[in-house]
Order: sequence, then structure tokens, then C-alpha cells
Amino acid sequence: MRLEAYRIQSEPYYLPVAAEVALFEAAYASRLPVMLKGPTGCGKTRFIEYLAWRLDRPLITVAAHEDMTAADLAGRYLLAPEGTVWHDGPLTLAVRYGAICYLDEIVEARQDTTVVIHPLTDARRMLPLEKKNELVAAHPDFQLVISYNPGYQSAVKDLKESTKQRFVGIDFGYPAPDIEAEIVSRESGADRKTARQLVDIALRSRNLRGQGLEEGASTRMLIHAGRLVAAGLGLEAASRASIVLPITDDLDMREALTAAVAACL
Amino acid sequence: MTPRSRAQFQVIETEQGRAVTRLHQLIRQRDTLRGEFRGHWDAISAGTDDADLERWAAGALELALVNAGPECQLAFWRISVDLKSALQLRELADFAHAAADICRGAGSKATLACLQALPNALRRLGRASEIVLWSRGLVRLAREGPESVAAVACRTDMILQACDSSGFENFVASGLKYTRGDRVRRRAFFTLEDRLATQVLEQSAGALIFSRNERVLKAFATALWGRPPVLRGAIAPPGMQLPRRVNIAGGVVRMPPVFSGTPKGMLPQLFRACVAHATAHIALTRTRFPIGSLKPLQMALIGLVEDARVEMLAMRAFPGLRRLWAPFHVAEPTEVITAPTLLARLARALFDPDYADPDGFIKKGRALFAAERERLDDVSVSRQIGGLLGNDLGQMRVQFNARTYVVEPVYRDDGLGLWDFGEQAQAETDIFELMVDAARFERRDDADNPDRRRNEVEPAPDAVGRARERAPDERGPVLATYPEWDCDAGIERPDWTTVRAASLWPGDAGAIDAALDNIPALRARIRRLVRGAKIGRHERLKRRSDGPDLDLDAALDAAVALRAAELPDDRVFRTMARRQRDLSVMILLDTSESTRDPVMPSGTSVLDVERLAVAALAEALAALNDPFALRAFASAGREDVRVFCLKDFGEPYGAAVKARLAHLEPQLSTRLGTALRHAGTEIAYVRSHRKLILVLTDGEPSDIDVVDPRDLVEDARRAVISLRERGTDVFGVTLDPSGAGSGAAVFGRSQHMPVRRLEDLPSRLAELYFRLARR
Repeated sequence: MRLEAYRIQSEPYYLPVAAEVALFEAAYASRLPVMLKGPTGCGKTRFIEYLAWRLDRPLITVAAHEDMTAADLAGRYLLAPEGTVWHDGPLTLAVRYGAICYLDEIVEARQDTTVVIHPLTDARRMLPLEKKNELVAAHPDFQLVISYNPGYQSAVKDLKESTKQRFVGIDFGYPAPDIEAEIVSRESGADRKTARQLVDIALRSRNLRGQGLEEGASTRMLIHAGRLVAAGLGLEAASRASIVLPITDDLDMREALTAAVAACL
Repeated sequence: MTPRSRAQFQVIETEQGRAVTRLHQLIRQRDTLRGEFRGHWDAISAGTDDADLERWAAGALELALVNAGPECQLAFWRISVDLKSALQLRELADFAHAAADICRGAGSKATLACLQALPNALRRLGRASEIVLWSRGLVRLAREGPESVAAVACRTDMILQACDSSGFENFVASGLKYTRGDRVRRRAFFTLEDRLATQVLEQSAGALIFSRNERVLKAFATALWGRPPVLRGAIAPPGMQLPRRVNIAGGVVRMPPVFSGTPKGMLPQLFRACVAHATAHIALTRTRFPIGSLKPLQMALIGLVEDARVEMLAMRAFPGLRRLWAPFHVAEPTEVITAPTLLARLARALFDPDYADPDGFIKKGRALFAAERERLDDVSVSRQIGGLLGNDLGQMRVQFNARTYVVEPVYRDDGLGLWDFGEQAQAETDIFELMVDAARFERRDDADNPDRRRNEVEPAPDAVGRARERAPDERGPVLATYPEWDCDAGIERPDWTTVRAASLWPGDAGAIDAALDNIPALRARIRRLVRGAKIGRHERLKRRSDGPDLDLDAALDAAVALRAAELPDDRVFRTMARRQRDLSVMILLDTSESTRDPVMPSGTSVLDVERLAVAALAEALAALNDPFALRAFASAGREDVRVFCLKDFGEPYGAAVKARLAHLEPQLSTRLGTALRHAGTEIAYVRSHRKLILVLTDGEPSDIDVVDPRDLVEDARRAVISLRERGTDVFGVTLDPSGAGSGAAVFGRSQHMPVRRLEDLPSRLAELYFRLARR
């Protein structure tokens, strides 16, 4: 099959937080497009990898950015010695051969680019390629998944209402402390006690969300810290390097966070 | 547009263009000064532009005309030369005007002392804006306590070591208040001989240290418990006992201003320990105990056990707090048995399992506490254990003086927040009288209104000052006259309205900051918008006929067209353009009488909400470095359309602007058309690609001498059109809950934003600006 390179070879580790796996499977049963919303570092990408493996579908990921054009998604003619050759974009590949197409951070792309997905997200499930004069009907296994961080919206970048309403939403947040400690322990190789302390520290930082910090520490940051500890660094130093320093440049906030971290240890 | 619509200036009194000449003329007549002046003048005027020189000369002139004497003038010139690099001439001129005021009130000797103190003050305070506040304090003292000015000026170094400029104003205000009318006492106060004076300074110093740490402490407590604490520095009026321990009342944590006995290096950790302990109480001490028939000693012990209980629970959640609190437990076993020492040792014994103490009472206390280890969640544990121990101690006949008792260790609170004083407080608590009254007073203070804004408490210090008129007409100097449209006659009447400058006494800038602190979400949002806008978006311009880069899609289209034997489009390049921000904004604020109306049950008026919205927007504009000006307007008939200048284009946005904004009062009526024309004239002088006038009004244009309001609506509409024709955008934001206003008629539907819910105004105004600025 054409998309072998995109298949997930081994099971990615993912610990369900709530009923999101069942929810996605139900959506996939009807091939409904899904929107994953949540702050950074919460497991959205890992989740979709896990589901792709579980459902045995290839996964084509596109990281959206502001310079992305519709042609980057759909495809374009390229010039070859024998003439012009049409080259399918990642979206078209997924549509044609039945993969899950995952558009990550879709809000970063301009709105005239994102409208290209509209015909795929309603009952038509078609992808018109005007330049090629072809109407691609979606493979029965094709599904579209997008993700974005709702907290970072400015007045300028936001999904259009018409786009938002085509999707089924799954909310991602920080897992419950025990579950999060388990995840951190598994992913970083640190022991349970250290993982639990790291989660504690993260909770302190999340208390400051909106009170001096944009976002609290993400699970990913904790995994980094855990990896540093597993490599031999002390917990305080590891927290400072992977949590306090990256999360804010404000000296007052750093001081307060350092004190809070010290209180937890 | 017809020539009649061009504004004609009718300037009555100004010293522009003449101060320098007059100064020179004056000095020429003074033999003693002539020689010195030349040298100083050359030094000052070197490399200075005319406007600044004018202002400086005006200041020096006033100082001369007020008969300050040759020494003062010489001193001023000398200082101007010395400080020319540190202070701008404008700021020196302002100080000269202040010095002239001081001379009027306190005489030339005092003025000389103040002038000589300026370099010291600048060294201590560092910034010109602080000097303004400092000189304001001196001016007030000159007016109300003239005999003390020289003394204060001579001690500038000592005083400003303890406090900053607003602390200094506070110092002057307190001194005047507490020695009211008594000259001798006043002198004693301001020469720092009076103990009260040193107390006030100490408190200021302490308050300063606290205010520097406040943000970190708040964030620390929020991180631990999830709730932002309400922290205040406790200020006791001199004469009353200074609080020596943290007090918790009604959810408010009051930090004492001074912790004498703690070395300065330990202060940050002490503050953190205090805050951690106090907020632990707030989180974990859920109920208050009724006093009932308890004796003071029992109350003290119950408080002690409760402290230990709360700390034990807190340390279970946050083990690191032990390291924070441990250094302050310094009690050791001694021979001397007094209640305070025993209590301090008991506190340590309950806190630190490794602390050895042979005393039987301590051992018993430990045993009782340890027995309840599983039940620590239950607040009644403290009551039981404390009551028992209190009885024991009472029977041991140990000396206990409730009046002088102070909780140890130093970071713990005074324990008064634990008790429910109730009705029968009077009968039982004469021993705790002093402290109880203080707690009651403070609790009443805060229980009603914990978020009471500062501007309701402090009147502006200068609000009752003498009015200093600069123009003979009490209505304020005329700035310009404008035509106005007469609906019935169908013509524009030239020179129909007169715009006058109105002065604004500065209010309390802190009130603006406090109000902005109450809307952190909006502020954060605005900061994000600023960040996004500031980056000055790089725009990719595609399909250009020229550029450094190939536009791939266009190039492919062209190649395809070539192969298909069609004519290719040769615009196959792309280039980047950075959109520059070149926009200046004038915000025009309507302060007519109708803005006094209350918006919400709490009594916030329309003007308060407008003020907040403007402050939030001004913050964003300052961060973006877009040049902007703030004006407010109110009218009393066509002869008196008052324009208040809150901020000029060149002026930096800071405490002075906030102070003026804070002091705006609702008054008079809304003659919108004239205000718009004047704003247009003023903004015409600014050089920028785009000019925007943003009008914020709550009602219909109207005025006392116009019968049919439609006249003024039509006039305003014409003003807007004429401004647009001259290239200035006008956008109107109207507060229009009913949706039936004439905003659309005046501004045009696309250039008008009606705001239905007043509470939304701050966020909508900020977003509007970003939308407009993007175009």
C-alpha cells in the first residue's frame, strides 16, 4: 500500500484520562471530523498517534503555519524533465488512500487556506482539485482531525464559525494527579515518588494561570524534568531548568515559583 | 471645503516667545547678577531647542519676579547647569515654578534650602517624575507649615532614605495633620525631633519594602493555595501601638510595617514565612471559636495549638515549608519560667520533633498533640488541647500579662483572627482591650468592603488648594473659536463657539492602578494583542512582477501556461513587506454630567467605567509606542467649551497622566461638534500617515443654550465629515444601552460602535483599537 511509511509501527504509550478513546472511536465509526482542543503538552498528538495505531490506519500529520497555502495541502504541479507532473499534497494523499489526516495547530494557517477542508467535512466528503480539474471522492476510511490551543487566540487568529461547527470536539486538559504521575513516571523513567512531587509542583504553577503566568506547567515539562532527574540531576535543579526558567521571564514570578517549588520538596 | 470652516486662533495670554527676552531684560537691570548670568546662560542654552529654553526661562523669570532674591536665582541657575544632563530643562522649569510657590509661602531662605536640596533628592529618588511629587510635598508644606520648610529641606537625605516620593507626601501630610495649628510641635515634627516623625518614616520605609515584595508574596501564596490572598501593609496612626505581628481579619492579611529585631537579610524569608502561615490559616482554619468564658491565657494557648495544627497540616501537603519556618523557632530551655518563654518553647516543641525540652508542661503538651495526630483535620482539637494546657499553666501560677503578650515565633499571626468576639465581648475582654479594639476596627473596615478602592479613601492632596489662575477671565484661557452649523438657517455660523483650556488638579494615580488590577484577565488579553500587533506582521506579497523570491504557485502557473502554448503571466515573484505602524490617535472623552449616573449597584459611575476603559487602552498604546493624546471635554454654552488636556502627544504615559485621569469629574454638557473640530485641529499638527480620533461618549450631543438637540447632532455630523475630508479618521464609541442613539447618524454606521452593556466597554474599546489599527 502506498502509505506504509505513515503507519505507526509500535503501540504508543497513552493513558486515557476520561472517555476520550471511546469518543474518538465512536466518531471514527461515522468518519466524523474531530477537533482536539487543549493547552500545549497535554497529549493531543500522542492521543491521535495511539488511536491511529489502534484503528490500524496510516496517520499523515501536517504542522500548519502562517505561510501555508492551499496548494501545500492539496497539491501542485511540479516541473520534471518529461513535463509537468501533478504531486498530491498530504491532505489529498490521505483523502485518496484512506488515512487519518491530522492538521496540527490549524489556527496558525491563514483562513483562506483552511477553507480547503470544508468540502471534506460535510456530507459530500469531496476534495475538489481545480488545477487538476479533478474531484476526489474521499476513501471510506479517510478522516480529518485538527488540533489547536484555544487559549492563545488573539483577535486576529481564530477559526471561523463556519469551520468550527463542522467538527466534533474533544477537550484535553491536565489529567488527574495520580494519572499524571503515572504518565510522567512511564515516559521519563523517574520513580513514582519523584513523579508525584513533579505533579505537585505543576499544580502550584497551574494555580498561577492568569495570576502572573500565561499557562501552568504542561505534562511535557514534567516529563522533561523527570528525564533530567533520571539522568542524575537533583529534583530542585531539574524543576528549575525544565519548569521555572522556560515558563516565565518575569523575575518576580520566577522568585515566587522557586519559593513554591521549595515548599513542595 | 469653504474657507470659513478653517479654525481661527484667538490667543489671549501667552508668554511664548517672550520669556527669554524678558528674562534677559530683567537681568540686565540687576548689576549683581549680570556677570554670573552670562556664563550660566551659555551653558544652559548650548544644544537646547527653543521650546525647552522658553520653558526654562519662564521658570527662572517667575523665580525672579516673586522676589526670591539673588541667592535663589543664582542657586537655580547653578543647579540647572549641574543637573542639565540628569534632568530635562522642562523639569527644571517645573521645579522653578514650585520654588516660586515655596517662596510665596515660606520666604526666600526656605526656597534657597529647597533649591540646594534638589541634587540630593534627585540622587535618592532617581527619576524626574518622583521629583515632581517631592516638590509638591514641599509646596504644600510651604503653604501650611512655612516655618518647617527649611528644616525638611536640610534633612532631605535622611528623609528620602526612608521613603520614596509618595512616602514623602504622606510624611508631610501626616505631620501637618497631627500637629494641626501648633507651630512649635510642627517644627519639632519636621526636624525629626518628635518620635512620631521617626515612626512615620519607619512605617514608610517598611511599607516600601513590603510593596516591593508584594507581588512575589501574592504569587507565592496563590501558587500554594490556589487563591490569591488579600495582602495589605498595616499602617497604624502614630500614637497608637504599632502592630508587631501579622493580623488576619475578614480574609485580609495585614503585614506589620516593621519587624524590628530581624536582620535585613532575613526579611524576604520572614515575609514569605508570614504569608505562608497566614494563608495556611485562611485555607485551613474554617471556623472561629466563640470566646465564651475563656481566660486570656487559655485563648493564647488555644491560638498556639491551632497554629501548630495548621502548620502540621500545611507541612503534610508542602514538606518544604518546614525549612521556611524552622529558622524562626529559637526558643531554648532556660531556668526562668515565665509564660512567654514557656509558650515559645511549647510552640517549638510542637513544631520540631527533634527539639529536646525537659520541662513537664512542655512534655505534656507534646504528648497531647501527638495523640491527636490522626485527628488533626478537626479544628476542635485545638480548643480541647489548648483549654487543658491553659488550665495547667494557670494553676502553675505563671506570670502572664495579656497586654504585652506577643506571639512567638515572629512569623506567626497575633491569633486574633481565630476568635468570634460576639456580643458579650465587652464584659470579658478588657484585658485584651487594646488589641481587640484594633482588630475590631480593622475588621469592620474590611468586612464591609474588602476591595474598597483607594480613591474613596484619600482625597487628592491638592484638591483643596488655592486655585492658581493664569488668565484674567475665570473661565480659562481661550484656545480657539470654531464655526457651528445652524439647522434652521441652514448655514454655518463662523466663530460661534469658543474652546477654552480647563485645568485639572491631579488626583490619585494609585486609584487607576488599583482599578486596573481588578481586571487582570482583560489586561492579559490586551497584552497579548499588543504582542501580536507589535511584531509588525510580515506580509507576503505574492504575484509580483519583481521581488527577491519566486512565488512557486505563480511560477508553476506560468510554466503550465507556457507548455499549453498560452500567454504566461509574468508576475511570478514574491516579496515581503513589513507593515509599519504609523498611526496616531487622539482619544476624546465625554465627561458630561450624565456620566455621573451609576452603572452597577456598587455605585460605579459611567465615568468610572469610561476611565477604566481609557486607562486600559492607554496602557496598550503606550506599550505599542503609538503616539496618542487624551482629551476630555464638557461644555457650558457656546462660549465655554472646555477641553481638558490629560495627555499630550509628546508626553510619556505615566503617573502624572493617570493622576489627571483619576481626577476627572462629571460636569456640564456635551457639545460634540466643537470638541471634534478642536481635536481635529490639534491632531493636524502630528506627523503620521494615519490619524484617528476615537470619541467616547455616553449620550446625545446637547448643551444648555441649544433648544433643539438635533442641531448639535447635525453639527457633529458635519464636523466628522469635514475631518474625514481632511484625512483624519473619526470613530465613535457610544454607550447606548437602548440602541436608539444618534451615534450612527453622527459617525456613520461603519465608523460607529454602540456598546450595549457598559461593563463590556473596557474590553471592547481595546479590541476596537486593534481592529482599527490593523487596517
